[in-house]
Amino acid sequence: MRSRRSLDYAAYAVFILIIMLAPLVLEAFWLNRIAKFLVYGILGIAVALCWGYAGILNLGQGLFFGAGAYMIGMSLKLASATSLQQGSVKPVPDFMLWNAAPGAPTELCCINHASFLWIPFQWEGFGTFMGIALPAVIALLLGNVVFRKRVSGVFVSIITLALVLLVRLVVIDLQPITNGFNGLTDLGDFKAFGIDFDPYEVATYYLVAVVLALSLIGARMLVETRAGLILQATRDDLNRARYLGFDVPAYQTFFFVVSAIIAGLAGMLYVVVAQFVSPTFMDLSFSISMVVWAAVGGRGSLLGACIGAILVNIVAATVSDTPAFVEAWKAVLGLIFVLVVLFLPHGLAGFASDIGDRLTRRRDGESESQPQPVAAPGFVPTRGSTR
Amino acid sequence: MTAALTIDGVGVAFAGVKAVDQVSMIVEEGELRVLLGANGAGKTTLMDLVSGKTKCSEGRIYLYDNEITNQEEHRIARAGIGRKFQIPSVFRELSVRRNLEVASCRNPRVFANLRFGLSPASRARLDEVSALTGLSEVADQIAGGLSHGQTQWLELGMLIVQDPKLLLLDEPTAGMTQAETHKTADIIKGLRGLHTILVVEHDMAFVREIAERITVMHLGRVLAEGDMAAIEANPDVRRAYLGSRGIMAGAA
Repeated sequence: MRSRRSLDYAAYAVFILIIMLAPLVLEAFWLNRIAKFLVYGILGIAVALCWGYAGILNLGQGLFFGAGAYMIGMSLKLASATSLQQGSVKPVPDFMLWNAAPGAPTELCCINHASFLWIPFQWEGFGTFMGIALPAVIALLLGNVVFRKRVSGVFVSIITLALVLLVRLVVIDLQPITNGFNGLTDLGDFKAFGIDFDPYEVATYYLVAVVLALSLIGARMLVETRAGLILQATRDDLNRARYLGFDVPAYQTFFFVVSAIIAGLAGMLYVVVAQFVSPTFMDLSFSISMVVWAAVGGRGSLLGACIGAILVNIVAATVSDTPAFVEAWKAVLGLIFVLVVLFLPHGLAGFASDIGDRLTRRRDGESESQPQPVAAPGFVPTRGSTR
Repeated sequence: MTAALTIDGVGVAFAGVKAVDQVSMIVEEGELRVLLGANGAGKTTLMDLVSGKTKCSEGRIYLYDNEITNQEEHRIARAGIGRKFQIPSVFRELSVRRNLEVASCRNPRVFANLRFGLSPASRARLDEVSALTGLSEVADQIAGGLSHGQTQWLELGMLIVQDPKLLLLDEPTAGMTQAETHKTADIIKGLRGLHTILVVEHDMAFVREIAERITVMHLGRVLAEGDMAAIEANPDVRRAYLGSRGIMAGAA
């Protein structure tokens, strides 16, 4: 058992080392591209925490990603050069001016009915704070309703799925303040700690890499606590946990919120790296893609899901660069998913840990001549079986 | 003697049928009470009412002086009632040891549990309980791979770790071999006096082995209460089970 765990930690260390050293060999274009994939890796962590550890299949993770993205996007929109040159001393987003009623004052307070909501976003700190706070509050409210009402399994998936589509529609409909279908483009650089995070600079890559490493370590530490253990217990048997005296909805909601915060962080970083915000972040296909990444990497492993997300996207980027596959790569992704579900139900992480088990067993077998403890009658190894 | 569990005129109806009707009973502290009755007599429903799974439509339930009627399940559990289900339920993807660790978390709050590891006292208690339930050897196995008997003992072990004031055991020997049943009886006898225990059971050999006092239920009501001999001699009990050689049919 102990060697299993140290092998696990070694894998974390190697992974973090690799992403930290990657800029040494990557040129600017790939650096930006990989930074985007690392953002997807963060999403993989969020999905694994929710799905693998809490047993909650959230098909609307894009809602939290989108919420984080829009919040920081609003701040960065106001920070862009064009917003500052709209004939006013205060910044005003260009799309608001295009659609302004004749004679409307070019001020955030009153250019249209709802534009005042943008006022606090002039401070980048507010946008950054809201990028975390909004997903957290949404998850808290949603979790409190859904889990208190003892909704579970596929019904949670359906509710989250419906919700992300609903919010997407609302965002598109609120054209005057969200720029509808077009989303927010032409954004300024994110500035923090006195650094200008230009998307093609190494600093931006490291911003993403550090947040990824911290999310990964933080999430892992969280599931190693007793609360994390109890969470896994609620995943296996809600009722048993309840009758052991645990307030199950409180545990589910807590980790649902943590997962939402991680997804919100990912949304913010995506905007910093890609410099646009779009309602497509809340498309159903995007939320489902995240689930596929986590399944490929192994939803039972935070690191696995993270690597899964990165690998699938690297493959997707490479494949869709090939002219013949521009349209077909989604089919390739679907095929990968089917193959993984059929042959690697615990994903790449399960496959890797099987190999790790075999290696440690062989090594133990060589160092000690003692035979392995005989499994009790009726013992069937569950690893590798589908749930 | 103090009353550990006081059930005072509780009742509940499902679709107009009184599953439990005006049931009153008192279980003394440290007592091992067996609840007996045919299918549909209301034994499991009574346990559901005590543990909060089903809400009573009438009556009150007290654990010592603490009223627990219709509270949420996890609050009743925290008040000191541990329940074992008829179909054994354990955390199948966690190891046996981790299952017991879950049960040993004293504080149920999320934020209080944001820390690593267990206190040495809890760890010692875990070892003690794994030994008592005979699970020390399989401590590192995944619970989903245990045999049926071991699963039952693990669930029982989780309850014992919590040190509840009252244990509700719903058919703890269901589906067990004779040897397993015997071992279960040993475990339960070992708890006698330390915990107050209420057991629902059909297996008469097992009941004979462990029972002190028996309450017989019939059609949602309490039919009789007494020790083994008194129950066997009770004319009401015999009448209720007429035609099936009585409830003692399984004893032969």
